[in-house]
Amino acid sequence: MTRAAAALAAAWAGLLASAAAHGGNPAQDYVLNCMGCHGTGAQGIPGKVPPLANALRRFMRTPEGRNYVLRVPGAANSALSDEQLAAVLNWLAATYDTGAVPSQLAPFTRSEVATLRHQPLIAVLATRKAVVNALAATGPSPPSQY
Amino acid sequence: MKNLDRLVENSARSLAKRTSRRSLLASLGQILTGAALLPLLPIDRTARAQEPARPSAAEQKCEYWKYCAIDGFLCACCGGTSTSCPPGTQSSPITWIGTCHNPADGRDYIVSYNDCCGKVSCGDCFCDRNEGEKPMYRLSRNNDVNWCMANSESNYHCSVSVILGVAEK
Repeated sequence: MTRAAAALAAAWAGLLASAAAHGGNPAQDYVLNCMGCHGTGAQGIPGKVPPLANALRRFMRTPEGRNYVLRVPGAANSALSDEQLAAVLNWLAATYDTGAVPSQLAPFTRSEVATLRHQPLIAVLATRKAVVNALAATGPSPPSQY
Repeated sequence: MKNLDRLVENSARSLAKRTSRRSLLASLGQILTGAALLPLLPIDRTARAQEPARPSAAEQKCEYWKYCAIDGFLCACCGGTSTSCPPGTQSSPITWIGTCHNPADGRDYIVSYNDCCGKVSCGDCFCDRNEGEKPMYRLSRNNDVNWCMANSESNYHCSVSVILGVAEK
């Protein structure tokens, strides 16, 4: 493991531990605020609800993908605080999509969430398509259709 | 020994005079037919497989503790139970999630309210408690949604409530 990779791994572990230490419970926050639509395994509903499993971590590879994830209405308008939303997204990325994407991936931070979630995303589907196409050209990408 | 031979011979001849090979076949046939008919005797084969769901009286009351965040017709009054959809309907894959306090053990439980879809509205035992719901301006916390929208048959029939686990504070 390189020094950078070790630092990122430590950052991930630190963020998850911090969420637990501050009374955060990202798994329960997911159940209470997201699971109703995204499903018990974050698998989504074909044709209706996009999957987070095998998708979220792939969006996190690029600034455009991270921007999309934090501004998509389901995330931006959720009842979760900035810190809770970052913790839930990092928990999902660590739990449901660990295979295809290299570990050199920065987790979401509270300040990143706070900056981006308040910028409304109007053309959601068009933005998603452009982001996914760009991701597909450079490595693992979320499904273009769901 | 000669007497014994004569006795056996006489018995065999007497039996042969009174019976025939056909009578043996007839007897065997009767036995086989009887064996075949035995399973057709009037035995209750339905067992309990066809019995309708029998919900408890508590499940049919809106005040039941785990209905704290429900909004709809109770499936326990519609041919199902509080956790199973009535025959002819399908559970919704997307759900409303609530947290209810169980007074029996003093703990809070996370409850999933799945709609049962595919038939017209049940119309019995309407229950609208919706604890924790927010007005429409907070869409993700509003329950005025047809949770059957992701089903192939999106008609709403009734709602069940499934306990997912204990809520940590």
